[in-house]
Amino acid sequence: MSHPQLRVGIVGAGGITQAHVPGWQSIGAEVAVWSKGGADRLAAQYGLREAQSFEELVASVDLIDICTPTATHLDYANAALKAGVPVISEKPVSLDPDAARETGRLAAERGLGLYPAHVVRYFPEYVAAKRAIDAGDIGRPAVMRFQRIGECPAWAPWYGDLKQSGGIIVDQMIHDIDAARWFAGEVVEVYATRVADVERHIVTAQVVLTHESGTISYLNGVWGAKGLTFRTVFSVAGDAGLLTFDSRDAASVHLDTGSAATSESYLPDPGLGESPYTLELIDFLGAIRGEHDARVTWDDGIRAAEIALAANESVVAGAPVRLSPALRSTGVAR
Amino acid sequence: MKIGICSFAHVHAIYYAMELLKRPGIEIVATDPDEQWYGPGEVRGRALAEQMGVTYVDSYDELFSWGPDAVIVTAENTQHRRITELAAAAGAHVLCEKPLATTEADAQAMIAACEAAGVVLMTAYPVQFAPDFVNLRSFVQRGGLGRVLSITGTNNGKIPVDRAWFTNPELAGGGSLVDHTVHCADLIDSLLDGAQAESVRAVTNQILHADKPQVAAETGGLVSVVYPGNLTAVIDCSWSLPDVAPNWGGLTLELVGTKGVMTIEPFAHHVGGYTAAGKAHFGYGFNCDAAMIDEFFAAINEGRAARPDGHAGLRSLRVVLAGQQSIAAGGVRVSV
Repeated sequence: MSHPQLRVGIVGAGGITQAHVPGWQSIGAEVAVWSKGGADRLAAQYGLREAQSFEELVASVDLIDICTPTATHLDYANAALKAGVPVISEKPVSLDPDAARETGRLAAERGLGLYPAHVVRYFPEYVAAKRAIDAGDIGRPAVMRFQRIGECPAWAPWYGDLKQSGGIIVDQMIHDIDAARWFAGEVVEVYATRVADVERHIVTAQVVLTHESGTISYLNGVWGAKGLTFRTVFSVAGDAGLLTFDSRDAASVHLDTGSAATSESYLPDPGLGESPYTLELIDFLGAIRGEHDARVTWDDGIRAAEIALAANESVVAGAPVRLSPALRSTGVAR
Repeated sequence: MKIGICSFAHVHAIYYAMELLKRPGIEIVATDPDEQWYGPGEVRGRALAEQMGVTYVDSYDELFSWGPDAVIVTAENTQHRRITELAAAAGAHVLCEKPLATTEADAQAMIAACEAAGVVLMTAYPVQFAPDFVNLRSFVQRGGLGRVLSITGTNNGKIPVDRAWFTNPELAGGGSLVDHTVHCADLIDSLLDGAQAESVRAVTNQILHADKPQVAAETGGLVSVVYPGNLTAVIDCSWSLPDVAPNWGGLTLELVGTKGVMTIEPFAHHVGGYTAAGKAHFGYGFNCDAAMIDEFFAAINEGRAARPDGHAGLRSLRVVLAGQQSIAAGGVRVSV
């Protein structure tokens, strides 16, 4: 099927746009940007058209890609959907799952695509593990571990503010919450601890999930010391085998120039072939065009946020939190 | 020096005996009289003693009337107290396999009996002696990681099928939660200079090895622990290394501090590759057992407490006991 040139409207100009804009450009899209700050710089960097207002952006594109701080995701999504434009939103969908459900119902009513950017489902190591699990190669998952360790995102202070971002569990660990659900199914109970060094903006969270299937999962998210090398780890122990991955051991190129390397970015180096961010955007685009179901749905995004918020509740209560069963689908497109 | 080996229930008895046999001036006598707990096909008792070239007697009475200076207690977990009390009464120093006991009362009684008799009670936690851990402890204590905020410990291995009692809670006190939580808990105990855990929450399941009818206990578990100063730890104690793996398993400890992250894998050293049996694993790590036995002998000779002693064994046992309480109460957080 051939399409006229795709027109994409990016909202926001922060860190993640550095992954999304090249992704869109690599598939030939014309990208416009509007942001409360930094749009001019981003436009200059990538040769984008800079819209003068959000409304103007929405009126001139085929889809909106929301890359703003969490608290604003739904406002932009609702406005775009009301204007008849499909939406891709960064994760977490919202700190208010009920409001996110409203947005899902709005998209369903209008028959418009609405997708959450849980990019971990497009990283090849997680995809390979998911395939192995689904193929039955390790039997029934029993105990899983996920770790996500990097430096604290001091360049964007809103991340550290629980009220704005939901903190590390809702903003960062939500990737692994989504992956754990993807691997072993629905989560019914969560227990969490979180320890912070407020002065240095360093925080570590340890969360244990119980899945409906009986699988148990340990998740550890770290916003650690400045300059920490970004690292992800997972293992899935099943009754017929064991899967393990550690990004520290995954490099297939080693370079030694005699001087210490420094960590340059909190974004993981995709390393292989197509960027996972691009694969994600292509998947959402196909789903918006009705060509296939997306690998992750808005309802998945809502559930991941609910689990993460329950973990925050567990931290405060010092007790496990039972989750209500996943609510019926908002009817939003897959 | 006369050393008694009390029971071949735990396979570590063989490693400890081999270690002792290397040393000059040591006489060994072993007994393994509780035949009712031998599993089908297990080589134990006199037969195993003969294989190892160790003198064997038929009862604990005979062993203690021989007058051992010290004993190694490698019986089924629930039997540690009975044998340790016999040893203390006979004036023999005790190196006791972990976990020290399976109840608070048993552990307290063992500590009291050894203190009253003036004998050393050491808990067999060999990983404390691994150079990786010694380095980690020293790095942390000189501030290298800043303030330590959280710890992840994993102690995953194959299910111990070579001895049937391990998966019988009547004798083992539980399953993987009992067998594998204590090593990591003891390393953290050492890092924190014996600060007692404040609260524990645990969750377990029995998905792994559900096809083995003899397994009557949990095989997977995650134990969340809060220590003083709000340092938090999670220990994965699962028997999650598949039967097809070429090695027994391993232990990792990862610390997140304000200055960085440090991970140790004290059992990682090996040469890999393939043999006719599949994947190869030829380990060449440090001999932790030898260092532990050195410390046991040093404590005896110097008339001081061993490190780790019975109290340390009790503190790490309490993490397990609180975890069991947490599970019994449906996964709540339990104060230690």
